[in-house]
Amino acid sequence: MKINFTLNHQPVSIDVPAGITLLRMLRDYLGVTGPKEGCGVGECGACSVLLDGLLVDSCLVLAPQVEGREVVTIEGIRAPDGGPNDLQKNFIKYGAVQCGICIPGMVLAGEALLARTLHPSREEIRDALTGNLCRCTGYQQIVDAIEATALERSRLQEQQKV
Amino acid sequence: MSTYQFVGKSIERVDALEKVLGTAKYVGDYYLPGMLYARALRSEVPHARIVELDVSPALQVPGVKAVITCDDFVDHGNFGFPVKDQYVLAYQKVRYVGEAIAAVAAETEEAALEGIKAIHLVLEPLPGLFDIDHALDPNAPQVGPDRADGKHPNFLDMSPVYKGNVDEVLKQCDVVLDLKYTTPHQEHAYIETEGALAIPTPEGGVVVYVSCQSPFIDKGILQMVLGLDPARVRTIIPPVGGSFGGKDDLNYYTSAQVAALALKTGKPVRMTFSREESMIASYKRDAAHMHIQLGASHDGVLRACRAKHTFDSGAYASQTPFTAWRGSIHAMGAYRYDACEVEITSVYSNNGFSGAFRGFGNTEACFAIEQAIDEMADALGMDPIDFRLKNCLRLGDETPHGQILTQSVGLTECLQIVRKASDWDRKRTEYSRQAAGDIRRGIGVAALFHGTSLGAEGIDSATSTIEIENDHTIVLTSGLTDYGPGSRTVYTIIAAEELGVNMKRIIMLRPDTNTAIDSGPTVASRSTMVGGNAVRNAARNLAQTINLAASDLLKCSVDQLYRVGEDFVGPSEEVVRWDAVVDHARDMGLVLSTYGKWVAPKIDWDHHGGRGTPYFAYHFAAHVAEVEVDVRIGKTQVLNYWAAHDSGTVIFPEGAYGQVYGGVAQGIGYALLEEALYADGYLQSVNFDTYLIPTSMDVPEIKATFVQTYFSEGPYGAKNIAEPAMVPAAPAVLNAIAHAIGRRIRDLPADLEKVVLGEALRKKGSPVSCKIGLKTK
Repeated sequence: MKINFTLNHQPVSIDVPAGITLLRMLRDYLGVTGPKEGCGVGECGACSVLLDGLLVDSCLVLAPQVEGREVVTIEGIRAPDGGPNDLQKNFIKYGAVQCGICIPGMVLAGEALLARTLHPSREEIRDALTGNLCRCTGYQQIVDAIEATALERSRLQEQQKV
Repeated sequence: MSTYQFVGKSIERVDALEKVLGTAKYVGDYYLPGMLYARALRSEVPHARIVELDVSPALQVPGVKAVITCDDFVDHGNFGFPVKDQYVLAYQKVRYVGEAIAAVAAETEEAALEGIKAIHLVLEPLPGLFDIDHALDPNAPQVGPDRADGKHPNFLDMSPVYKGNVDEVLKQCDVVLDLKYTTPHQEHAYIETEGALAIPTPEGGVVVYVSCQSPFIDKGILQMVLGLDPARVRTIIPPVGGSFGGKDDLNYYTSAQVAALALKTGKPVRMTFSREESMIASYKRDAAHMHIQLGASHDGVLRACRAKHTFDSGAYASQTPFTAWRGSIHAMGAYRYDACEVEITSVYSNNGFSGAFRGFGNTEACFAIEQAIDEMADALGMDPIDFRLKNCLRLGDETPHGQILTQSVGLTECLQIVRKASDWDRKRTEYSRQAAGDIRRGIGVAALFHGTSLGAEGIDSATSTIEIENDHTIVLTSGLTDYGPGSRTVYTIIAAEELGVNMKRIIMLRPDTNTAIDSGPTVASRSTMVGGNAVRNAARNLAQTINLAASDLLKCSVDQLYRVGEDFVGPSEEVVRWDAVVDHARDMGLVLSTYGKWVAPKIDWDHHGGRGTPYFAYHFAAHVAEVEVDVRIGKTQVLNYWAAHDSGTVIFPEGAYGQVYGGVAQGIGYALLEEALYADGYLQSVNFDTYLIPTSMDVPEIKATFVQTYFSEGPYGAKNIAEPAMVPAAPAVLNAIAHAIGRRIRDLPADLEKVVLGEALRKKGSPVSCKIGLKTK
């Protein structure tokens, strides 16, 4: 069936079997491989995407469900120059990346949180990451990176107010 | 303290950018034109004879292009080291649930699944062996291969350490404890499942991209089972999405399967596992049954230790003989004894199969001995840290193996650091006196020693190549894989340090058997020390050439040269750029391509007498965990955590901290949550909905400290970190739980039931999840 939606700020129209998941559509039909399949049952968050700004496991969303909606994958998270944005830079700076397979989901989980608040406590950051499993890092440097970005963005926001 | 430009400085990981952008391509991200999808038919019974196997019906399924069995391989695809007991596809028998029997390549994943369902297979079930305590009974079902030496076919190996007469010394001890501990199988739970992609070459060879640890072992097995000469087989390791010891054997099977299918079809063939398939088919940390006798005198001096453990190797030997050996070396802990007797026996069973997993035998052994040490401190009425400090190994001591520790022994410092940082003395006293209640706190410690690199497991060396390209960049290789911990960054730091160039100038390649040189397996936390020394030697060799060119260009002697950034400066303050020096070196006809090798110091171990020098150095560490236990529901929350590691010099701090944080998190999972339970050979948890690993809420803020005792053989004095970071975590947490609730849990994991009831709540097992998991997408 034909599905029309916005992917990473661009309109997409694609014909796919009705029964496939959003994850499968992204990877197998659109060549968007940033989202990974880690478990297929919505436990690990490696396939995380933003659907209308909310963090979802794309393995649990059927492709037709995104009709008319906005999907952002890790490929859509960029600075204006096409390089890493501030959150991604902080993931690098704080040593939050090891094997990297969970990182697309972690960055999106961070963006989803920072869209809600720029003043999260470390506990709130940890809470926002519970749907994203990481086996390498013990999460600490991921929390560091998100915390630092929240601080930077909130300062920037205050400066813009003044 | 150092005068280094890069070593020990805050450095960005070389592969972080592509990972945060989501552009890093893992095996499962490769989609090639005409690529076929492969799937394996896997055993749904734990032990059986293959009576009938007809794969031809699979070929009738639309979209199926090829199907293979063990008959498609040389000698039925037999491989394995140290015991050659494995087959790329099952031969005559299956020995565990999940063992691959045949493999199909098809145009779609759905067709591949239909293909394996169409295969005609008749299995004649054999009695299964599931209780390792009875593996060596005369009438036990035979799992291991026939053997001519008269030993029980289920016996795999026995690793001893002997010092003095334990019975004699125990008789003289004031306090003797006799304790039993068990640890379960543990799943590696890398977030990227197994996978491999094979591309046939026009010359009749094959290029394999595989998510594994050890490229040259993969290549060697492919050559052997496919009957191809070395020039026809190339293994490339793309980014690996986590491994922890877990991405060797099963990915060798997988790469051989896709390689054979690619050669048969002439098309690229990729196999990637579903999570269920990964959990069911993959090897685990061995389960262990451990028995410790410990003797001490009233004054708090440890006198004797006897450790008799059994490790469950499961269906195949894989790495268990080595795991058990490493376990045996560490089974008595980092302490001095008058007498010591360790015997670790490994046996076959039909409980999946066991292989390498972070800590490699010491994780299991340390769990037992570090709780036993705590129990002895309790029995003597001593503080657990005081008791450890009184008995632990120090510089100049002789270990129970007979090795004199001549350098880099930082255990006492580690213990003192975690004691102070955690406010141990106050909390220990306060929690010991807490009033009865449902919410209880405790604080516990564990100490660690962990032999660096391979030790007596085998020849221990690595080689790196280094070359300057036409654009003046430097291309560096290693035969070792960075599957997450950061060795590519460590190697880039080392090369930049030695050559005095910016790190951005260096391109550190991923392993490719056509460009890198065999450096042994990427295991045993050996990358920084062994691989790092190889890089250092390679870079030093290249630096000699470059310095020669610079001195020629600046018309001075090499020792008159100095460096300002990348530039070379001569005695007359004349400055020349790196690029100019490289160009001049080329004009001089100098070779700008070289290599460096490092061979570890010789070790000497008597495998029968249980004496000698098992490792050339040891990592030491101490961990403290502070927990809160809700005794009504059995829930343990780790509130705070302190880890001090004597890792030698830290080369890449962000990476080293990451290893500690991640290692502690895995250890907390092992302590509280994780059990890959086999019921009659069937794994009971086949995905993350039932096999729980720690989330961000289960892991506390961890305070890590490095005690950087200089190790003369390591690069810049470095030892290692990856495995040791995990090993002491579980006993530290369990010792804290014991402190909180006043009762010992001696069987991992300390889940809700064990905390509340003191024992596991066992339901009857079921084969259903395995059977469904092996036949669905």
